[in-house]
Amino acid sequence: MQLPLSRRLLLASAAGASLPLPALAAGQDSATMGWPSDVPGWDPTLRFAPDAQGIYKMVFDQPLTQSPHLKLIANVVTKWQLAPDGKTLDLELRPDVTFHDGAKMTSEDIRYTFFERVKSGENLDISKSFRTLVGVDTPSPTHAVMHFSQAFPTAPVWLAFLGSFVLPKEYLSKVGAAEFQKKPIGSGPFKLAEYEINARIVLERNDKYWGPKPALRRITIEIIKDPSARVAAIQSGQLDLTVNVPVREAQRLGHIPGLASELDPITRIILLQVRNDRNFSDENVRLAAHHAIDKAALSKAFYGGAAVPLSLPAPPGSPGYVPGFHFAYDPKLAMQLLAKSGYGPKNPIKIGFDTTNGQFPSDYDMARAIAAMWKKVGIEADLKVIEYAQYFELNRGDKLPEATLYSFDNATGDPEIYAGYLLNPHLPFSPWKDPVLGKRVVAQFTVTNEAERIAGWKKIEEDAVNMGACMPLLQSVITLVRKKNLSYTRYGNGWVLGQTFRWT
Amino acid sequence: MLRTLAWRAAVALPTLLVVSALMFMALRLLPVDPAAMSLPPNATNADIAAMRHTMGLDKPLPVQYVIWLDQVLHGNFGQSIHFRRSVAGLVANALPATIELAGSAMVIAFILGVGGGLLLFALRGRRSELALETATTLAMSLPEFLWGLLFIFVFGVALNWLPFTGRLAPSLPQPPGTGFLLIDSLRAGRIDIFWSALLHLILPASALGIAFAPPIARVLRASLLATWEQDYIRQARLRGISETRLLLAHALRNAALPSLTMVGVQFGFLFGGSLLIEVIFADPGIGNLMVDAVRNADLPVIQAVGLTYCVVVLVINAVVDALYMVLDPRLRRA
Repeated sequence: MQLPLSRRLLLASAAGASLPLPALAAGQDSATMGWPSDVPGWDPTLRFAPDAQGIYKMVFDQPLTQSPHLKLIANVVTKWQLAPDGKTLDLELRPDVTFHDGAKMTSEDIRYTFFERVKSGENLDISKSFRTLVGVDTPSPTHAVMHFSQAFPTAPVWLAFLGSFVLPKEYLSKVGAAEFQKKPIGSGPFKLAEYEINARIVLERNDKYWGPKPALRRITIEIIKDPSARVAAIQSGQLDLTVNVPVREAQRLGHIPGLASELDPITRIILLQVRNDRNFSDENVRLAAHHAIDKAALSKAFYGGAAVPLSLPAPPGSPGYVPGFHFAYDPKLAMQLLAKSGYGPKNPIKIGFDTTNGQFPSDYDMARAIAAMWKKVGIEADLKVIEYAQYFELNRGDKLPEATLYSFDNATGDPEIYAGYLLNPHLPFSPWKDPVLGKRVVAQFTVTNEAERIAGWKKIEEDAVNMGACMPLLQSVITLVRKKNLSYTRYGNGWVLGQTFRWT
Repeated sequence: MLRTLAWRAAVALPTLLVVSALMFMALRLLPVDPAAMSLPPNATNADIAAMRHTMGLDKPLPVQYVIWLDQVLHGNFGQSIHFRRSVAGLVANALPATIELAGSAMVIAFILGVGGGLLLFALRGRRSELALETATTLAMSLPEFLWGLLFIFVFGVALNWLPFTGRLAPSLPQPPGTGFLLIDSLRAGRIDIFWSALLHLILPASALGIAFAPPIARVLRASLLATWEQDYIRQARLRGISETRLLLAHALRNAALPSLTMVGVQFGFLFGGSLLIEVIFADPGIGNLMVDAVRNADLPVIQAVGLTYCVVVLVINAVVDALYMVLDPRLRRA
């Protein structure tokens, strides 16, 4: 018996194959963006999610914000003044800000967002950043005064950082937290029109926005976690813009007519977090490990040369950057330092080395390359892969090895949030528990004079690198691919904001 | 039949208990602290200790399990660490997308499997049989995510025939209802949404289904070969019944039982296989949710999704048993 494959069947198949596609991306008043992760929810004060900041900024307003070059600038707060003792922060609000339901934003909303909700015991991430806030006075609807129990010199910076979004007191009190998650209301340039968890976010322009109106009426954010799928989607025209595609793919896509690609350095840094004990108790070994790493080669191999090699835990252009400071790649010096301590290629010192795999582009491959560089000078690394979520738990349990490849995001660029967090022995980021450096770091958190504060952090950064307490590697890059006729504003911290999109 | 199904349900309960206990214990062995994960990184050790107490993580493991089980039995799977919302709600929200995808994939696998089995049987002893066998081996040897990537690049990028991200075109709204887009769009009378949802399903469902079709085809072919030698087939042929009718009306029904078993077994695997396919095709099902949960060490979600997979497999097994009894009267009598 044979089943005939007729011409009619073939024609029917061909006709079926040419079915019309539904409307794809692009349109003069809308754009579709492919984003690698979803928001953890629609209360932006609930969970800190660096990758979601840009999305939240389209729907909600922060008291302060940052310019594309990361300067702290006014937003719904027009003037701010931190008292010399760092314990009082005076805020002047715009009088013309309204939430999406038409209610006016007042100082009561500031008080509610940063103080009342936190003190009510709700498990909000923002409660940890404003833990020293003991009260907010509201002398007038456009004037708020924050009071802290101890000096908080970076309070203005935090008002433009993770989780600091002003929420509507009246609406949120009325509907409750659960309902707010379903129908969130902000005062941002877009309103949330539709949300399907892990799938897409549809934003409609807020025509009553107090600031510059977005050029596009509608932004659709497709949550596409797989980088290959994002590459395919932008190449096939299903997306107008996407980010975080592999560097080589971004370069390739940039050559396709109609597409443009960019590799921009951002405030995220890649570094080795190190211990001050076990086989890294010897400063010679630590410094040798640092001198043995060819950062320029890592950048070239894994980031097309776009990632800037770092000598300090502060990228160029940020307040904590020290232009003249350079930590050299010098394998000969590394071998000399190791020899002083009795080690060498024939008698290597063994260390543990943890890395994530897939947490940031090429992390595992980079760790392997570093391990190979170390082997040449006499450091034998036992490379293990951990999940990013394990990092803090391993650190708390004192189980991190001598070195861990780590990526740290600091959209503000402030040196306290780099060196201060990365080296503070009381915070879970740092496996470096040396009490001497630790005391200096903790004390620096309370310096209120801005010039002294920045100078102090610069000195700590330099000292930390010179003693091998910190091994910065690269300034990370964001890869962005877009349709050539879709323009956007680049931000030094990687924000991609729909309100800056424009078809040209 | 009802008694058999009741027995099946009774056996399923201890299975679920054992699976849930194993999963609970295994997840607690991981070097992650749910309390720490539920707080921002700038939380202090005191904050974490307080959270551990609030979450009951300072109690002995068996006590924690009993508390968790009691909550689950009351429909409370806890709160997601990452999303800080009800786990039951998250799973219920994601499940329709996975069922729709897995169901469509099963339909494709079934059509290809049965069609392939019939074709293999029809071509037995010919040269083309070898070519078809090679094709089925190839289809089976590639994992579903590779099929997915291949389909994306061929039909999505190179030919630009079909969409491959999400469940709907960006310009179309999600219709309210059950979460099953195909059903909801029809209920809303939106043929455009139905069409878009269908087009978005073709590539992921094909990628998932294609790898599962060959085993069905091979089992069907083998059982058809055995059935074809039965006396009743010979007698039917002597009565002058055509070969096609003999195959489709007589042999196929009896040869279908082993294939049905295979379909049941495959559906469990297929449901699990949706995990990577959902990530690749940005489909917001429970596989996608699971990947997020693993990345964020969101233990309550991992437990709930794991349990959901287990329940689905048990339900499918029960359905297959019921179908067996429908198709084979001897089993009903037994």
